[in-house]
Amino acid sequence: MSRAAGRTDWAEEEDDDSVQQLPPTQIVKNKDGTETIITYSIREDGKKVKMARRIKKTTVKHTVNPRVAERKQWPKFGLEKGRAPGPHSDTTSVGENIVFRPVANWKASTQEDKDQEAKKKLGNVNAKIKCRICSGDHFTTKCPFKDTMAPEGDPTPADMGSDTPEAAGGLGAGSSSYVPPHLRGRAGAGEKMGGKFERDELATLRVTNVSELAEEQDLRDMFSRFGHVTRVFLAKDRETGRAKGFAFVSYADRTDAAMACEKMDGHGFHHLILRVEFAAKKA
Amino acid sequence: MRPILLSGHERALTQVKYNSDGDIIFSVSKDHVVCAWFSHNGERLGTYHGHQGALWTVDVDPTSTLLATGGADNTMRLWDVKSGKLLKTWDFLTSIKRVEFSSDGRQILGVTEKRSGQLGTIVVYEINPDPEGEQTDEQSLRIVCEDAKATVAGFSYQSQFIIAGHEDGTVSQFDAKTGELLYSTQVHEADMQITDLQWAPDRTYFITSSKDKTAKIVATETLEVLKSYSTDTPLNSAAIAPVKDYVILGGGQAAMDVTTTSARQGKFEARFYHKIFMEEIGRVRGHFGPLNYVAVHPQGTGYCSGGEDGYVRVHHFDKPYFDFMYEVEREQASANL
Repeated sequence: MSRAAGRTDWAEEEDDDSVQQLPPTQIVKNKDGTETIITYSIREDGKKVKMARRIKKTTVKHTVNPRVAERKQWPKFGLEKGRAPGPHSDTTSVGENIVFRPVANWKASTQEDKDQEAKKKLGNVNAKIKCRICSGDHFTTKCPFKDTMAPEGDPTPADMGSDTPEAAGGLGAGSSSYVPPHLRGRAGAGEKMGGKFERDELATLRVTNVSELAEEQDLRDMFSRFGHVTRVFLAKDRETGRAKGFAFVSYADRTDAAMACEKMDGHGFHHLILRVEFAAKKA
Repeated sequence: MRPILLSGHERALTQVKYNSDGDIIFSVSKDHVVCAWFSHNGERLGTYHGHQGALWTVDVDPTSTLLATGGADNTMRLWDVKSGKLLKTWDFLTSIKRVEFSSDGRQILGVTEKRSGQLGTIVVYEINPDPEGEQTDEQSLRIVCEDAKATVAGFSYQSQFIIAGHEDGTVSQFDAKTGELLYSTQVHEADMQITDLQWAPDRTYFITSSKDKTAKIVATETLEVLKSYSTDTPLNSAAIAPVKDYVILGGGQAAMDVTTTSARQGKFEARFYHKIFMEEIGRVRGHFGPLNYVAVHPQGTGYCSGGEDGYVRVHHFDKPYFDFMYEVEREQASANL
């Protein structure tokens, strides 16, 4: 290590000019038996680097076969001729760790795994296809009542809980066993960040005839005059990034929403007159 | 256990061997080059150049001074281990499938392929142990295998017998002085080639592997089958581990079928069996081609395998390998204390 640091290697001689500008390597012997080696070098990007290494030398004695020890000193030959000692990455690498633990009835233990796998497979085959709309044994998309009936267990067919309100009318989380967080009891849910999942559809306003240049923040500023706005969604064109002309604004409280609806409907914003109405019809 | 991957070869490995001290691994592959590696860290010591064809076999003498190789260029060559220098070339009419030194290093045998009207033979040369010395051209013995060619062969203890495995699944015993066939027996299934023959440390018994998916331990003197290990894949190699009573088997789907099977189904794993109870105790995966050869460290501290995928994987055994014992073994051990 110190040899390389001291630049005695012939391969480094070319760099002597630049090396000479650097302070020489210092080796300081510490009181606790360790050594501190301070070396300076110039990095590839031309910056000077000072490296301080503290090393502790310990002597570990191994008894090895003298023949083996002698062979370790043999010069390399063939393709390896003249190469530095130690493994080289082009021919030698270390594989990933393999756990090898002999066990008495190895076959039996793996057989069990196989049985389980087989069982799983059987299970998959036996799993019935069940339509979410009519509980028939066909896929939901193939259901004859797809257009006329809502999925089972879906309380609100026009579920505004979806993140994409444009499509919300048609979509719905249809599984009967899954209860969305906003339906799992109201206690405490109000403190949740952003209240995104605790939205009350009845406190959501649909704002149309919004200027193309509008930003979400503009709407938020305008509407938060009437109460705590939990969410503002401004539909934007994915490619141009411009507003599409409609937005949804949700309030924490329905009365605030009603007030905003009343006041903001017909309000001028940029060069257009906003139209504000409740997103969901009163149930 | 973190295996060391040696990637010095460009084509499928055909044989890997430890020297008698276990510090150097020699590997040969179909790419014409012999490599020598330090087993403890995977550093390549050097390469031996000269062969003009695929190499099938390699062996090193007990003092690690001479290295013998044989290959598809119809030559058997002798090398100086230390310098990589070619010392001697013996020319044949067909390729050399197996070379092996006798346990004292004074003799070497070569198994020649049966091809183009030539019968398979086993030839023996006396070896001058001095790397500077002259090597003889004269065969001290030549055994012709008339029915089925020999695929593998080796010298027994004290070079008393030559044991050969044949392509028809038989194992035969020859007198190593006269070349006389003493005994022959069907060990493996008929017409299933014997792919490997490796000795126990004292050469009183050996293990054979075969395409019939079994490996068998056979007594040298009587050719009696002592143990049989059956697997679910054709075997290319089998080795007897010293120190612990294990055998290591290597094999896998034949190279030509590999592309049609997944790595999992290909069964490219080294299989460990208990030597006495003949039960599988574990597998080591890693290769993505069949294992062409497995070799065990002579001190039993590790093993290496050469695969069709062009890699040599060197493994140093962990504690669980040495600790594992069957219940009866444990009882026996505690009773002896």
